[in-house]
Amino acid sequence: MRRIFLSFIYCFLMRTFLKLIVGVNYRNKEVLKKTKQFIIVANHNSHVDAMALMSAIPSAKIKHVHPVAAGDYFGKSPFKAFVTRLFVNALLIPRSRPVEGEGPDPVQMMVAMLDKGESLILFPEGSRGEPGKMQKFKKGIAFLLEKHPEIPFVPAYMQGMGKILPKGDAVLVPFNSYVIFGEPEFCISTDPEKIVMQVENSILSLQPNKVS
Amino acid sequence: MFSIEKFQQNHDLFIVIALIFGILIFATLLFSIWGMLRPEANLGELKARTRSWWVMATIFVSATVFNPVISFVAFAFLSFAALRELIPISKNVRESDRRTLVWCYLSVPVQYYIAYQGWYGAFLIFIPVFMFLWIPFMLVVNGDTKDISRSMGVLPTQLMFCVFGISHLAYLLSLPEIEGFQAGGRGLLLFLVFITEMNDVFQFTWGKLFGKFKIIPKVSPNKTWEGFIGGVLSTTIVGYFLYFLTPLTPLQAMGVSFIVAVTGFIGDVVVSAIKRDVGVKDTGAAIPGHGGILDRIDSLATTAPVFFHIVYFLAY
Repeated sequence: MRRIFLSFIYCFLMRTFLKLIVGVNYRNKEVLKKTKQFIIVANHNSHVDAMALMSAIPSAKIKHVHPVAAGDYFGKSPFKAFVTRLFVNALLIPRSRPVEGEGPDPVQMMVAMLDKGESLILFPEGSRGEPGKMQKFKKGIAFLLEKHPEIPFVPAYMQGMGKILPKGDAVLVPFNSYVIFGEPEFCISTDPEKIVMQVENSILSLQPNKVS
Repeated sequence: MFSIEKFQQNHDLFIVIALIFGILIFATLLFSIWGMLRPEANLGELKARTRSWWVMATIFVSATVFNPVISFVAFAFLSFAALRELIPISKNVRESDRRTLVWCYLSVPVQYYIAYQGWYGAFLIFIPVFMFLWIPFMLVVNGDTKDISRSMGVLPTQLMFCVFGISHLAYLLSLPEIEGFQAGGRGLLLFLVFITEMNDVFQFTWGKLFGKFKIIPKVSPNKTWEGFIGGVLSTTIVGYFLYFLTPLTPLQAMGVSFIVAVTGFIGDVVVSAIKRDVGVKDTGAAIPGHGGILDRIDSLATTAPVFFHIVYFLAY
C-alpha cells in the first residue's frame, strides 16, 4: 500500500511535473536500479532537492529509500513531522542536541536504518547553502560509511535547483536544471576526514562545466 | 473534433505526410548502408539526428492530424520549453528577476488561448504591446534597479522569439477557411514546417559538401556562402512543387519559400550568436543529436511570423 502510494507520488506525479514543467534533466539515474542498498549523497540548495532525488528512485525501491531531514525544522510540530514522514518517507534526525550525550543520537538513528537494509538520501552540507556554492561537509556521512563499509555511496550533483526554489522564497519558477548521478563507490579509508574528502570530491567531479 | 475521416479525404496532406516519412526512411536506409560500407565514416551525429527526426515527425504529424486542441497544447509546450531553455543561458537575466519570469511563463498559455480562439487583433498585440509594457513594470515593482535595463531588453526579446514567433504556427490552424482551398491551415502548417526544416537540412548538407567561403566566421564557423546559396535555391524549388498546400499560385509559393529560406538562416545565426555570447554550443540536451529544443526551432521562430503575414496579406 505504502509502496503504491509513494510510487504514485514520486514515480508518476512528481517525476512528470519535474521533467515537463520544471525542467529537471536526469543523467545516469540507471545506477540506482543496479545497486541494491545505497546512500545517496548530494549537494543541497533547495527544498526541491529531496523531491528531485526521490523522483529518480525506481518504483520498486522507493519504499526503502529515506531522505534524512532536519528534525528541528521539519519536525517542529507533530503534524509537520507526520506529513514529512508520510509524503517524503523521511527520517527525521535532530541536527544538534541541546546537551551532548542526551536524547537520541542522530548517527545511531541512521545506522539503525542501514542495519534494517534501508537506503538513505543524505545532504552532508547539513542545510541549504547559497546557490552554486558548496558548504563544508559534516562528518556524519563518514561515521555511517565507517560502520557500513559494505554499503556503497552514490554521489549526485544537482545544478540549478537553487534557482527553482531558493532558500527563503516561496515561488517556484521553472528552470532548466540537472541531476547527475555518479557510479556507486565504496569508501577507501577508515579515517573520517578522508572519507568526507572522498565523498566531497566524488560529488564535485560530477559538476558539468557546460552551463553555469 | 476528431477529424481523421476528413483527413483521409484530403489527398494533398496525405501526399506530404507520405513524403516526410519517405524521406526519413530514405535517410535511415542511406546512413545504415553507408555505415556498413564505410565503417570508418563518422555517422554518429547524422544517425542521432535522423532518429530525433523520426520522433519529432511522428509527434508533429499526429498532433496535426488528430484533434487541433492537441496541436495547440503541443505548440504551447514547445514555446514554454524553448523559453525555459533560453533563460538559464542568458547571463543578462538577474537572480532577482525570478518573480518576473513567472509572468513570462504565464504569457504562454494566454497567447495560445488567444490563438485558439482566433482573436486576430489580440493575438498580434498581446506580446509586442501588452507584455512589452507589463514585464518592465513588474521588474520595477520588484525594486532591483541595478542593471534593470538589461532585463527589460532581454525578457521581452525572448518572449518575441519563443512565444510570439512560435505561436504563429498555431494560429495557422485558426485561419478562416477559403473556398476551393482544401488543405487549409493544416496544409499551411505542414508547408511552413517542412520548408523550414528542409532549408536547415539543405543548408547543412550543401555546406558540408561544398562549403568553402565563410559568411560570418566569428559567430557560426560552419555557415558558408555555398551552404546558404545552395540551401536557399533548393528550398525555393521544393516550395514551388508544394504550392498545392497553400492558397498561393506556384510563383507566389516560390517567392514565399525564398523568403522563408533567408529568414530561417537569420533565426539560426541569431540564436547561434546568443549561444556564442554565453559560451555554450547547444542550448540544452532534450533531443539527442540536436542540442536543445531551441536549436531545432530557432529558425521556425523567425520563419513562422514572416510566412504567416505574407500568406495572410496575399490570400486572406
